[in-house]
Amino acid sequence: MSSHRVIVVGGGLAGLAASVRIAESGVPVDLFSVVPVKRSHSVCAQGGINACNEVARQQGYSEYEHFDETIYGGDFLADQHPALEMANWAPKIIDLLDRMGVPFNRTAEGFRDLRLFGGSLFKRTHFSGATTGQQLLYALDEQTRRYESEGKVTKYEFWEFLWPVIEDGRCVGIVAQDMRTMQIRAYRADAVVMATGGCGLVFGRSTNSTICTGAAAARCYQAGVWYGNPEMIQVHPTAIPGADKTRLMSESARGEGGRVWVPRKKGDTRKPREIPEAERYYFLEERYPAYGNIVPRDIATREIFSVCVNDGLGVYGENQVYLDLTHLPATTHHKLEGILEIYKKFAGEDPQHEPMRIFPSVHYSMGGLWTTFAKGSYNPPEPREKHKSGAAPPIDSRIGQGMQPGAIENARTNIEGLYAFGEVNFAYHGANRLGANALLSCIFDGLFCGVGVVNYLKSGTPSKSPHGTVSQSAYDRVVQQEERKARSIIDTVGKGGDDEAGNPYLIHRDLGNELTAACTVVKNGPRLEQCLARVGELKERYSRMKLADGATWTNQSFGFARAVGDMLVLADAIALASIQRRESRGAHYRTDYPNRDDANFMKSSVAKFDAAKRTTTVELVDLDASLIKPTARTYGKKDSATEQEKKSTPTAAMARASA
Amino acid sequence: MDTQARKVSVLDRYDFLLRRLHSLTGIVPIGVFLIFHLLTNSSIGWGTLDKRNVERAGLGGHAGVAAFNHDVHFINDTLPFLIFIEITLWASIAFHSVYGFYIATTGRSNVKRYGYQGNWRYVLQRVSGYIGILFILYHVGTLRWGWTFLVPGGTRWSAEYAASTMALALRGSVENVTVAGVVVSLGYMLGVSMLVFHFANGLWTAAISWGLTVSAAAQKRWGYVCTALGVGLMLMAWSAVAAFATLDVDRAESTERNMQKGSLTERAGRP
Amino acid sequence: MTGPTQPKPSAADSRSVRFRIARCDGPGKPTRWETFAVKIDRESAGANVISCLQHIAAHPVTVEGKRTTPVVWDSVCLEEVCGACTMVINGKVRQSCSALIDQIAPNDGDEVTLEPMSRFPVIRDLWVDRSRVFHNLKRVKAWVPIDGTYHLGSGPREPAKAQDTRYTLSTCMSCGCCLEACPQFTRQDDPAAWDTTFVGAHALSQARLFNMHETGKQLAGERLEALTGPGGVADCGNAQNCVKVCPKNIPLTESIAAMGRAATIHSVTRFFKK
Repeated sequence: MSSHRVIVVGGGLAGLAASVRIAESGVPVDLFSVVPVKRSHSVCAQGGINACNEVARQQGYSEYEHFDETIYGGDFLADQHPALEMANWAPKIIDLLDRMGVPFNRTAEGFRDLRLFGGSLFKRTHFSGATTGQQLLYALDEQTRRYESEGKVTKYEFWEFLWPVIEDGRCVGIVAQDMRTMQIRAYRADAVVMATGGCGLVFGRSTNSTICTGAAAARCYQAGVWYGNPEMIQVHPTAIPGADKTRLMSESARGEGGRVWVPRKKGDTRKPREIPEAERYYFLEERYPAYGNIVPRDIATREIFSVCVNDGLGVYGENQVYLDLTHLPATTHHKLEGILEIYKKFAGEDPQHEPMRIFPSVHYSMGGLWTTFAKGSYNPPEPREKHKSGAAPPIDSRIGQGMQPGAIENARTNIEGLYAFGEVNFAYHGANRLGANALLSCIFDGLFCGVGVVNYLKSGTPSKSPHGTVSQSAYDRVVQQEERKARSIIDTVGKGGDDEAGNPYLIHRDLGNELTAACTVVKNGPRLEQCLARVGELKERYSRMKLADGATWTNQSFGFARAVGDMLVLADAIALASIQRRESRGAHYRTDYPNRDDANFMKSSVAKFDAAKRTTTVELVDLDASLIKPTARTYGKKDSATEQEKKSTPTAAMARASA
Repeated sequence: MDTQARKVSVLDRYDFLLRRLHSLTGIVPIGVFLIFHLLTNSSIGWGTLDKRNVERAGLGGHAGVAAFNHDVHFINDTLPFLIFIEITLWASIAFHSVYGFYIATTGRSNVKRYGYQGNWRYVLQRVSGYIGILFILYHVGTLRWGWTFLVPGGTRWSAEYAASTMALALRGSVENVTVAGVVVSLGYMLGVSMLVFHFANGLWTAAISWGLTVSAAAQKRWGYVCTALGVGLMLMAWSAVAAFATLDVDRAESTERNMQKGSLTERAGRP
Repeated sequence: MTGPTQPKPSAADSRSVRFRIARCDGPGKPTRWETFAVKIDRESAGANVISCLQHIAAHPVTVEGKRTTPVVWDSVCLEEVCGACTMVINGKVRQSCSALIDQIAPNDGDEVTLEPMSRFPVIRDLWVDRSRVFHNLKRVKAWVPIDGTYHLGSGPREPAKAQDTRYTLSTCMSCGCCLEACPQFTRQDDPAAWDTTFVGAHALSQARLFNMHETGKQLAGERLEALTGPGGVADCGNAQNCVKVCPKNIPLTESIAAMGRAATIHSVTRFFKK
């Protein structure tokens, strides 16, 4: 076994895929996760994972078209080279998961079945019921457990990542805390992979899990790692609101034929089934005849929002629309059982008989730690026009055309030895992520970029000076910093009276409400400025925070309170980047700048933290768009003038969509 | 694995074998014996339906008593390798009960919280095992090993007067049922019920343990079969206890006397 | 964002629900009971045990007006797919996220009792250490022994029906409900004893899952070797509580029977072969 070690932080799909890949190459892995890895948030992913397969290929689809859809879907803000490599790799990932025993749904003949998903006219999404993320996570969890039992992976579950140890500009380990014993200690490593997911909790209630605070990324950010496109937050069109969180209703519900509608009559009090077909407004199908209900998420979200908020057509006058599956056959219901169960359990109605009532909710962060890559071999003389759906691809799907395989720069942050995989990597999805591309990007990072990590140990700085040569003081310094921070929070216990303003849970609640109101579906300059000011007020409140629990054992509220501080830092970056992007692109929609402005803003927002002043600045950094030329992203929307005259028949739209 | 160094006890080492043996002994020989035993005992009731028994009983005799005594004589006098059968049976009962006690110690009942029918049967399986083995000891001790101090009226059971002495042991006296007799009769009722339940339910769980009934539907179907068998055995057991407890002892004794003569002549008549 | 509002006939107005919670400061510390009152109204539509615990965490004051510490509990997804928030609610084990207040405490003044799972050592309050659940997955080698992550083509083809069966088994989230309700799975705090005590319904079902897979089958012998060892399939007492409490409706008792059958065949063939 290698004398090198790698630390992976986060045990979701990206972290586990990286652990398996790195451990397999003979390098021991220390895997840190704040929860048992099998309970990571990847488990919540429902719909599927995209990859071109043979059937799609014979229908005219290609890996290249998948790449093109990803870039178009992301409104030309994604890093094009990594996205190309990911699309080309996708079929191999499906094969591998298949070998690991993922129970992908099957056709009658026993081949892997496909379903339709947002942003594509081809069926190219592999799925396992409606709990694909769970099934994929379990497959990787099982492989990790296998390596764990062979001693190649050491798990540190219930350990929270606190800070990266950076010495001479390179990451040489981490400081973490056991959230049971509260022990804080440093761990050495030659490379650190951050695979810590998104930051949904910054928005209070979201479809994210309770652990998705973004704190780990925010800590790296405060330690000097750049954060890309923080303003790009995906609001998923279909979720069930709840008192503790919102619950996702997968895009697969629409991919399998689910239809979104509201009563045409404002404030219609009739039950959904009493409303005749002609009096139902299938607004997505009418406005987007080609894609219908499977337009990309940012578009569906804005349309639902507009129908409810601007047109006041929400069901029963509330902010909600119908997602109707009642017309689908039992076999389709069976394929969606996982999410139908969720609706039945949490909303108390059976979606097989009653249309679901849903509303958009914060779901995914396209933004994340800023990363680099080594360009692959595909280098067209000039960027190509948008690919025509179904046309022959300009290139084949050989690997190495998008990114250079095994390059140590792939998915690396601006800090040497510190990598960002999965949702915490900002690279793949630009301004909007296509459904079923998230699982893909997580696993792709782990498997493809994991090799680069191993190569970094072999040929990078660790080959000459491994972690053992780093002075202990580098680690002690960070441990002391974190102990100080912990003490300063614990010391607030019992100080002063019952000051509601300093209650960390209420600070978080107010932060969530503020960011949801100002930084999600619809943004505008003045409101964003106000948001930034309010985040400032919340920071001030946080400085007077009081903790209710001074326990030195398993102090959960302490861990939460600490994360609130990190969420506030991220909130700053999100608001500031939103202010500075004076255009509308993908999920980022500003009423004061409703159009895309490629000349000025086809650039990544890169947030940098000034540790001394504790302030955030956002720079716009050029984007390499040498593969595909930006075009207007309309998804064939009919403009409102023609909309009134020729109403497309929804069934025709559906037929085209499932072609 | 880190536990390899740990000493593994014999019970642990042969855990699977012992548990399967436990399951097996409950069916063969114990369960099979139970069926035959209850068939024999209940012949005190159903025996009256068979003409041959009416003949055996003779004029004024009790056909049920004749049937029962006939079976008892058959077992005692003509069954080959009786001692071998008895040893196997006793060894099985000893193992089944001792290991059963051990199994019971490995679990902890939680019917209070999870009052599902299956969970109740899990508990009852253990309780019926405890009561059942006590009953078996009392039953065999009083009837075969001469623990007459535990018998109401102090009757000693004999194979020659199988039915009448059995009836006396339950009734406490010839004339009427004494208080002690009621207690013992009810005890018999309880004991046999427990054993029959234990057997029927054990047969049901054994089919799962051995993997004969895999699907929930098959388990349910086999459940009906086991229930039917249990009800049948229960009826036999209850009818036998009831019949003995209400038996006309004098008439039974005279029937037995007549039969002994008969059997003597029968035997004498053989070549 | 405000969301769908369900018409609620009985609970239209505000009502108060009491939470009686077993508190424990750490391993070896005594258990004490604390009661909290939580207001349920239109604002908290769709309230569940989690949202009430969140409320208590923000306002840790008991009904007697005593300030206390926030209750500690384990939770992740809140959609009943991760298994983390399992606890004993009103005497029965289940996930607290799917325990909707309108269902478990529909009337004003209703009381909800929260306790930690009893089969695992308590870390603090309602949070227990379920390492043994995962350890037992190692005992049955619950994985497919693939050659590695290099590209080697697709996996084995599989009839849709077989996939359907495997999928159902594969939705097990290691929550531990089946173990908490099992009379044969008793608490064992010493990890050294885990390999010889009852492996549990979840692990038996996972063994079945991987024995069904074409490549997973390669380890079938080793899995059955473990299952015919101490604490294996024969330790099941057939109380069948597991299948009753499984939140994923996994046919655990069928899995147990299937493993029983495999173990029977395995031990007989082993007897004659070796």
